[in-house]
Amino acid sequence: MKKLVLMMAACVAACLFTGCDKADDGKMKLVVGFDADFPPYGFKSGSEYKGFDLDLAREVCVRRGWTFVANPINWDAKDMELNSGSISCIWNGFTMQGREAGYTWSEPYVDNSQVVLVKTGSPIKTLKDLAGKKVGVQTDTPVQKELAGKGDKKAVAALGKTFTLIVMPNYNQAVMDLDSGAVDAVALDIGVAKRKMADKPGKFEMLKEIVMTETYGIGFKKGNTQLRDEVQATLKEMVKDGTMAKIAAAYGIEGNALILK
Amino acid sequence: MTFTGMLLDLLSGLVVSIEIFVFTLMLALPFGLVVALGRMSRNPLVSAGFRLYISVVRGTPLMLQILFVYFAPYYLFGCSLARYPRLLATVLAFSLNYAAYFAEIYRGGIQSIEAGQWEAAKALGFSAGQTFRLVVLPQTIKRVIPAIGNEVITLVKDTSLAFTIAVTEMFTLAKQLSSANTTMMPLVAAGVFYYVFNYIVAFAMERLERRFAYYR
Repeated sequence: MKKLVLMMAACVAACLFTGCDKADDGKMKLVVGFDADFPPYGFKSGSEYKGFDLDLAREVCVRRGWTFVANPINWDAKDMELNSGSISCIWNGFTMQGREAGYTWSEPYVDNSQVVLVKTGSPIKTLKDLAGKKVGVQTDTPVQKELAGKGDKKAVAALGKTFTLIVMPNYNQAVMDLDSGAVDAVALDIGVAKRKMADKPGKFEMLKEIVMTETYGIGFKKGNTQLRDEVQATLKEMVKDGTMAKIAAAYGIEGNALILK
Repeated sequence: MTFTGMLLDLLSGLVVSIEIFVFTLMLALPFGLVVALGRMSRNPLVSAGFRLYISVVRGTPLMLQILFVYFAPYYLFGCSLARYPRLLATVLAFSLNYAAYFAEIYRGGIQSIEAGQWEAAKALGFSAGQTFRLVVLPQTIKRVIPAIGNEVITLVKDTSLAFTIAVTEMFTLAKQLSSANTTMMPLVAAGVFYYVFNYIVAFAMERLERRFAYYR
């Protein structure tokens, strides 16, 4: 019995430990942490992860001779992942506003508006019409913080007071709730909203008024300016030679949203 | 994305779920026995230690324990996690958790064996160790199979908690596919996979139970 237990333990240990050494080819590894429930910035496509941000990161790695690793993470654990070094950066439509002090940031590269998605034919036509309705948002996003009155945008906080805020684990679930009528509207990034409208044509529409504007940046561990500078320099090259615009176009992100110079 | 492509993707996630399942059982089933014996130890210190262990593990969420097992080396001791596989942390956390539940099931089984059997074995000249191994344990196994079966089936479904530390198992893949394609289909398919997996597990447990029912 004892021998059997020991053998089993040894076998388990062997199986588990052998998996960890394969990326040791001496190359620097860029492990990009992202939320895979977030098309078009990072999502599952066939057997791999793609998206605007992941394609940018992959191109940066190609140009710098790094190994690219796309690591889908649990969004609620992103700071633990980053600070403990299990990921190199958070690069995934990552809004800077409200998080300025928490990370070493790249320069903003995408201008992103927060919009309201409703079902086609909904009586909600303006932000005022949201009064008394149920509005879904994704957990731990700046728009949620502002709508809940925990940010510094007074107008957005006042708007948030007029309706019931429902916090969802991810956008897909929020849009499922919208589709099924469990919420009346969803506040989300314009890029995601457009993608959802394209996936289900005629089902959803977007209010013309926007809730607030934000910018996306790449978040590095606080103090890691060296990696930030390297990634940013390559990213700027990609802006100059048009690679970024090309990748953006492939994911339906408009050219005038790209703000990195 | 094609339907078969989606199923193939889910199957690759199922492999990860099965890994967690198998490795956890391999560690937790024997370790649970150690915990059960420790909990029943006559030494009050040993017994109190294991009692505390069971109490903490059962009294806190598994999700929290997974986070703790993975991130504690860095946050408590400053060790880099670069060489700490996520799957290893997952299996360790699951094993520590399930061992506590198994231990209590084993204890119930062991204590349900009548004192008369210990006395009879002693009268026949068996040592305490022999009595436990040859008389008590075989009967215990028989009695605990249904309760262990419950836990094993729960374990299949709990594997979805592994994503807490970014282990992409089947349910996570299903959610990602669902997000990427704005469809519920992957979630439905994942449900079917879980059911089939558990059907097989339940079938195996039933066969095991019948094999041990040699006095009926």
